[in-house]
Amino acid sequence: MRIHTLLMMVCLLLSAFQLQAADPPPPPASLLSINPGTDLWREVRQRDGEIEGISQVKSPGANVLVNVSGQSWREYRMQELVPKAGAAILIVLIIIAIFRLLRGRIMLEEGRSGVKILRFTTSQRAAHWTTAILFVTLGLTGLTLLLGRKFLIPVFGAEGFGSIAVAAKFLHDYLGPVFMLALTWLFILFVRDNIPSPKLDLQWLLKGGGLFGKHASSGRYNAGEKLWFWLASIVGLAVIISGMVLDFPIFEQTRATMEFYHWVHSVSAIILIVVSFGHIYMGTAALEATFEVMKTGYCDANWAKEHHDLWYEKVKDSGEPVAQTQAQASPAPGQRESTEPSG
Amino acid sequence: MASMKFYCDAERCIECNACVTACKNEHDIPWGVNRRRVVTIKDGEQGERSLSVACMHCADAPCAAVCPVDCFYTTGDGIVLHDKDICIGCGYCFYACPFGAPQFPESSAFSSRGKMDKCTFCAGGPEDDHSSEEYKKYGRNRVSEGKLPLCAEMCATKALLAGDADVLSDIYRKRVINRGASAFEWGVNQLKG
Repeated sequence: MRIHTLLMMVCLLLSAFQLQAADPPPPPASLLSINPGTDLWREVRQRDGEIEGISQVKSPGANVLVNVSGQSWREYRMQELVPKAGAAILIVLIIIAIFRLLRGRIMLEEGRSGVKILRFTTSQRAAHWTTAILFVTLGLTGLTLLLGRKFLIPVFGAEGFGSIAVAAKFLHDYLGPVFMLALTWLFILFVRDNIPSPKLDLQWLLKGGGLFGKHASSGRYNAGEKLWFWLASIVGLAVIISGMVLDFPIFEQTRATMEFYHWVHSVSAIILIVVSFGHIYMGTAALEATFEVMKTGYCDANWAKEHHDLWYEKVKDSGEPVAQTQAQASPAPGQRESTEPSG
Repeated sequence: MASMKFYCDAERCIECNACVTACKNEHDIPWGVNRRRVVTIKDGEQGERSLSVACMHCADAPCAAVCPVDCFYTTGDGIVLHDKDICIGCGYCFYACPFGAPQFPESSAFSSRGKMDKCTFCAGGPEDDHSSEEYKKYGRNRVSEGKLPLCAEMCATKALLAGDADVLSDIYRKRVINRGASAFEWGVNQLKG
């Protein structure tokens, strides 16, 4: 009985299908096969990540049909890096200009003392200026390659800028490794006095470093100088490592590797460049009697008293090398109110 | 105005690499530089396909966009060319290109790559047509003689097509219709409900 019902149902189902299928004629079999091309092209477009094939051509990336990271790198470079780097440089220059308008040139309160104190050794100055010259050269050549197409081609023309860019790339690629040595040298010579002293540095920072009023207490290096030292060292390390990867494309680096290190190199270099503007301004035009310190190695006693009071107390008490200027007729430490014209 | 394009038909390419060889020979390209290459996907598996790839002469070319010295230009025929006198060999075009078309004669320390070299659609460069400088830097200029790129001209299976985009798409459309492609199948399925 049960089997009978089951058979009847199967027959009914089959006839129902037959009725349906009889209506439109069945399409040719070739149309019903799944097109193998769909999967192929999905793989060619690399939608789910890079797929490697094989190729008789043997070079990095030759076996990959579509470079997936190219488009995002293009967007980063053209829509993020170029405009934002330009904007960051402009903004920092404007901030420095505003600061100059507000504070003017900051003079020594008590004028010059006529007494000079040794602040930097010859090797320290040599390391500083070597690193500084390399930094400025690398920064200018790097910015030439980054922003030159926008700002220099209209001035020099495509051919003229081509020659400039070749020179910029040459200097950038050959001086980069030298900068690594110079920055290492600088780090070794300056790290001892740049170890943070949390309480003092925090107080200095809370007072805004004396930028907007009274002087803040500070040792040999103030917290601002220490921040620049550590920023230059740590971000500098990132610039150097990424730069070396980009400068030596002899280890079969893939395009994705180069794009990543280009990102690291560009972001860290722009950070260093904009902060260096602050350092350069503070070290040259912002404060009276400051540039001569790194130029000659000696600072004025009053400059030390105002800007690095705790260090001044130490070098004064311990009677450390307190040398006199060559130009001045050696006044004794007691006769600090000398007649040396300030400015 | 024509818009020159390459098209490689994956149903026809047999990975013979003749296009690669013809290109190297026609333009006297140095060792290590390959303006054209054939890539095989799923080699030895079901659904294996090969494609011949070179510069695709993009309308919005990423190489030209990222070039720091702006050495690329597009001809009236839609062919993307570059000026080797301006190129500084930075490699950026190679990072941005979807097809790995830009090639460099060197790859040595201090980022020395030499001037970039890539497929010119057999259209030479900015130098005078058929001058020896043009041949030395960019290879043969066939387009100025009214000929198409050699790789496509000599392709034995006519997998690699080169020419005006409208003509190429007409040829390819006819091939697709004859093969009964998935688009047609999709339409039939829609009719069937």
